[in-house]
Amino acid sequence: MKALVIATFALFSSCSVSAAETDLIKQGEYLARAGDCVACHTAKGGKPFAGGLPMETPIGVIYSTNITPDKTGLGDYSFEDFDKAVRHGVAKSGSTLYPAMPYPSYARVSDSDMQALYAYFMKGVEPVAQQNKDSDIPWPLSMRWPLAAWRWMFAPAVEAHQAQAAADPVVSRGAYLVEGLGHCGACHTPRALTMQEKALSASDGNAFLSGSAPLEGWIAKSLRGDHKDGLGSWSEEQLVQFLKTGRSDRSAVFGGMSDVVVHSMQYMSEDDLTAIARYLKSLPAVDPKDQAHQYDKQVAEALWKGDDRKPGASVYIDNCAACHRTDGHGYTRVFPALAGNPVVQTADATSLINIVLNGGTLPATHAAPSTFTMPAFAWRLSDQEVADVVSFIRGSWGNKGAPVKANEVADLRKNDMRTTSGDDLGQVTQRH
Amino acid sequence: MSDQDQDNPRRDFLRKSLTLIPVVTVASTGLGGSMLMATPEPAQAAPAKPAVSEKAYEPTYFTAEEWAFINAAVERLIPADEQGPGALEAGAPEYIDRQMNTPYASGALWFMQGPFNADAAPEMGWQSKLVPKDIYRLGIAATDAWSKAFNGKAFAAQDSATRDDMLRRLEAGGSEVTAHFEAVPPKMFFNLLLQNTKEGFFCDPIHGGNKGMVGWTMIGFPGARADFMDWVERNEQYPFPAVSIRGERA
Amino acid sequence: MATIMKKVDAVIVGFGWTGAIMAKELTEAGLNVVALERGPMQDTYPDGNYPQVIDELTYSVRKKLFQDISKETVTIRHSVNDVALPNRQLGAFLPGNGVGGAGLHWSGVHFRVDPIELRMRSHYEERYGKNFIPKDMTIQDFGVSYEELEPFFDYAEKVFGTSGQAWTVKGQLVGEGRGGNPYAPDRSNPFPLEAQKNTVSAQLFQKAAAEVGYKPYNLPSANTSGPYTNPYGAQMGPCNFCGFCSGYVCYMYSKASPNVNILPALRQVPNFELRPNSHVLKVNLDSTKSKATGVTYIDAQGRECEQPADLVILGAFQFHNVRLMLLSGIGKPYDPITNEGVVGRNFAYQNMATIKAFFDKDTHTNNFIGAGGNGVAIDDFNADNFDHGPHGFVGGSPMWVNQAGSRPIAGTSNPPGTPAWGSAWKRATADYYTHQVSMDAHGAHQSYRGNYLDLDPVYRDAYGLPLLRMTFDWQENDIKMNRFMVEKMSKVAEAMNPKAIALLGKKVGEHFDTASYQTTHLNGGAIMGTDPKTSALNRYLQCWDVHNVFVPGASAFPQGLGYNPTGLVAALTYWSARAIREQYLKNPGPLVQA
Repeated sequence: MKALVIATFALFSSCSVSAAETDLIKQGEYLARAGDCVACHTAKGGKPFAGGLPMETPIGVIYSTNITPDKTGLGDYSFEDFDKAVRHGVAKSGSTLYPAMPYPSYARVSDSDMQALYAYFMKGVEPVAQQNKDSDIPWPLSMRWPLAAWRWMFAPAVEAHQAQAAADPVVSRGAYLVEGLGHCGACHTPRALTMQEKALSASDGNAFLSGSAPLEGWIAKSLRGDHKDGLGSWSEEQLVQFLKTGRSDRSAVFGGMSDVVVHSMQYMSEDDLTAIARYLKSLPAVDPKDQAHQYDKQVAEALWKGDDRKPGASVYIDNCAACHRTDGHGYTRVFPALAGNPVVQTADATSLINIVLNGGTLPATHAAPSTFTMPAFAWRLSDQEVADVVSFIRGSWGNKGAPVKANEVADLRKNDMRTTSGDDLGQVTQRH
Repeated sequence: MSDQDQDNPRRDFLRKSLTLIPVVTVASTGLGGSMLMATPEPAQAAPAKPAVSEKAYEPTYFTAEEWAFINAAVERLIPADEQGPGALEAGAPEYIDRQMNTPYASGALWFMQGPFNADAAPEMGWQSKLVPKDIYRLGIAATDAWSKAFNGKAFAAQDSATRDDMLRRLEAGGSEVTAHFEAVPPKMFFNLLLQNTKEGFFCDPIHGGNKGMVGWTMIGFPGARADFMDWVERNEQYPFPAVSIRGERA
Repeated sequence: MATIMKKVDAVIVGFGWTGAIMAKELTEAGLNVVALERGPMQDTYPDGNYPQVIDELTYSVRKKLFQDISKETVTIRHSVNDVALPNRQLGAFLPGNGVGGAGLHWSGVHFRVDPIELRMRSHYEERYGKNFIPKDMTIQDFGVSYEELEPFFDYAEKVFGTSGQAWTVKGQLVGEGRGGNPYAPDRSNPFPLEAQKNTVSAQLFQKAAAEVGYKPYNLPSANTSGPYTNPYGAQMGPCNFCGFCSGYVCYMYSKASPNVNILPALRQVPNFELRPNSHVLKVNLDSTKSKATGVTYIDAQGRECEQPADLVILGAFQFHNVRLMLLSGIGKPYDPITNEGVVGRNFAYQNMATIKAFFDKDTHTNNFIGAGGNGVAIDDFNADNFDHGPHGFVGGSPMWVNQAGSRPIAGTSNPPGTPAWGSAWKRATADYYTHQVSMDAHGAHQSYRGNYLDLDPVYRDAYGLPLLRMTFDWQENDIKMNRFMVEKMSKVAEAMNPKAIALLGKKVGEHFDTASYQTTHLNGGAIMGTDPKTSALNRYLQCWDVHNVFVPGASAFPQGLGYNPTGLVAALTYWSARAIREQYLKNPGPLVQA
């Protein structure tokens, strides 16, 4: 009865590999996690990195490509070809990649990290023969040459990352990860009408990581210093805990960020997570009048007395209070607090409405294996009831979110575009 | 015969008959020194029957005669009175009919391999080959036959006092009743009917009974909220109304 | 022909508490482990989804989560002179089914053990003399001491996230005046979580018991008093006294279960596989009959499969473990006539009595509020905490208010004399549903020569195999103890000054009633001990006769405890797993020489 040896990755190259190269491949694997390549380049139930995941964009559905070292993938890519695609957004064929590939962010990746990534994708990934799928974008939008123009206009020049002057080296490392491989801005920075991110780094101004418009039914919230809807109320330590485990004392991951935690963040070293957290905490608030949350006990006291006359309160008592409590504090690390929680106070209430309608499952991570499921309430609550309870949550216990209307709920009921909980991608992280 | 005509004699009848009911002893020990016997209070006359307003439910298992029986029986087992609506108003007949189409009613939840020993002692538990569907079919037919033998009317056509009396005899399962029940023991039939009626009065409304959560409201059960973190230690009446699985509030 | 599966290091039959604990321990030791669970996959989501799970009819009345006895049940008779009849409807006991087993829908009362109950025969003989124990009473010592088990009780509590109040920790008094139990043995650590809140009923009991001169304490409960993370990283929510505990999946993640407390960690390791809908028919033995080669099971599609393994763990419910041993030819079947043989002997149960006290409308006990493991208890009459000499019976009983939540269909009790239907019933139900206190004496039950398990000669399961037959009845000692406990407990009830009291205890000559719920605490049949002539397992739960078969569970108890068994079941399983990890794997063979 021998103990199992669990390899972190298997070598798929037929040629022999030196110890130094093994280290390089290993580093590349880590960086591929940081870049969360697997999230987009793996289809539901498909082989890792073989591509084929459909992505809804405003102009149509595009499919991610095969990036395994098979000839249908990156098999005949030289390092230069690989670098051109990842950092410059130009495929081996010469055509420009759709900006779903976050090459404007990857442009900041260092040369040595690029070498490691190349080594991993050529020798550490199992080759899978799978032809790439054409997009469903109708002509003439499918013509790629306008993309080149887009690339010329918005993608930054590739250059070695410049650490901010006099910056804490930890913050500097955080900036490299967040602005580069982590490509956090791809979701968390608002985009202009022309689809480019309004800012690609902290130095580009307040728009950077200030939160997005709804995407697939979720808001990627602001990661800036605002207390109301940013990370102002979060400590560095809580952020590290959140990225590593998908949960903190007062929050739980949901929506698209679940995949990021499961496939990427939980694999980051404690040092890199600290760097990311410290960098994010260095971003100032957008709102010049930003203030810390002031808890208001009026609602909790009324509910304690059995008074649920406030609009939405009865829906809250019948559906939400069991886990999130009449005082809105939830239960530490298990059921998120609603009082003072920035995700319930965003200007656009899409995320909160969506989670009330459809629920969500907290993903298992290695350090925190428990999954908690918030059930869906769409079947139980009318649009008006959802609007009432969402408004109640956004306006109780000192929260300052604006009320929502029933028609906003109705729109979301119809337009919910969430396609995956992330569970179906889970096996990818387990096997390597 | 109007309701008014029935009620006075019925009240008298009940007053007398209640004293004749063998005391249902909850305790089975002989240590009776500290046992206090609560005196059953006489039942009050029912208020005017609440209108059953919704579109009538069409039974899918029971025949018209059986359906009439079920309605007439549950109405006496849990009557509408000053405590509020009864099993009829709560939709217990609909509940029972719907249950007849579940695995429960065909005995599929039970071990039904023979040989059977239907005469086994009661502490050996259920030993009959009969399943709920059969018991209703046979039990209703036998009760109606017994009722007709008495005065030519089916059970459902008897006045409420007579129905009460008949139900009481079924419950006791005395020899004068057993003679009319070849195929099913009257006690078994009664116990099933009473159990299912209570289920129909107290179940979540998704099962077809407890309409408007009248059963829960009568006793103060809060239903599917199931969160009492704020109320565990408090010697107070719980304030929120019952809520159903579907989310309706009473 | 059976499909031969890839050989594994260990195969576990049943994925309840013992199966899950063993799976965790053995995968930690590096073994490849497969667990075969005959029921379906089930978990908090979707099986405990809020609010759909708050459905009394589906769960309590139709018993959705319990064993499907349409396919397999047990037969029961009161004595060897009777013909056993099948238990056709679930009644007296409610075994679990599916992933998590009964551990998914238990109540959560999580005790250790009174140390004397581990050496029951020795203790009674020492204090009261050999003749005090009735001749046909077959009580035995477990062969393991409280001191040996203490670290495993401690660890199990940490895994379960148990709430409670210690009396002493490493000899230091910490629990006086704070809900500790003065009769509890010393502990190496406090409970992982503080005791749960007390319901109004528990408060009334606490006050009344103290007035009578008893020593009330908070029940140790595997329902959490707050959020918790266990040593496996598994997290629990806090119990909110929802009242839908026993018989239900806990939607709050606050009742310890294999699913909540262990399975999440097992899902993260590659050397564990859980196969639901896999019904084990028998353990396969080699030609010497002293070594198991694996098990044969029917898979989800009805195919017969053989799972070879070096180690076989029987982690099914108490009587299923015994039946599997009998069907597989492991150990000599017990014969009550000669009092020889080991498999099936010392089948014991629990000896319950209940008192209900009814109050006026100004006492709001709100009985819909409840948690399965919470409450206030007294141990003044448990174990040997009082002098049994003058009373002439063996065994003791904790007494408690354990308000687990009464639901309207099954949970309405009325004062004695109330009719079962009609307006009088209706009024009483309306008057008393939220104004009553229910208290239990949760009595120990002893083992006897005549109470045993074997295979039924007539009835068979869905696969054509003989059902297990229980030969069981209450004995004079049981009735005596039960009546004594009712009398003592009624003093507490009277001190509450209620309007009415109902007593539910046993009558002289009363037979075991298979239809009315007692508890699911069935014990024995494959008992542990020091002598292979009188026990099926050694002190490490290893079969004396087949050294690579271990049988954790209450089937190993030589008699029933005063306390609920799960705490001891879990501790013994960890104890057994430790022996496998530290001794058996290094040198496979008998851990105790016969």
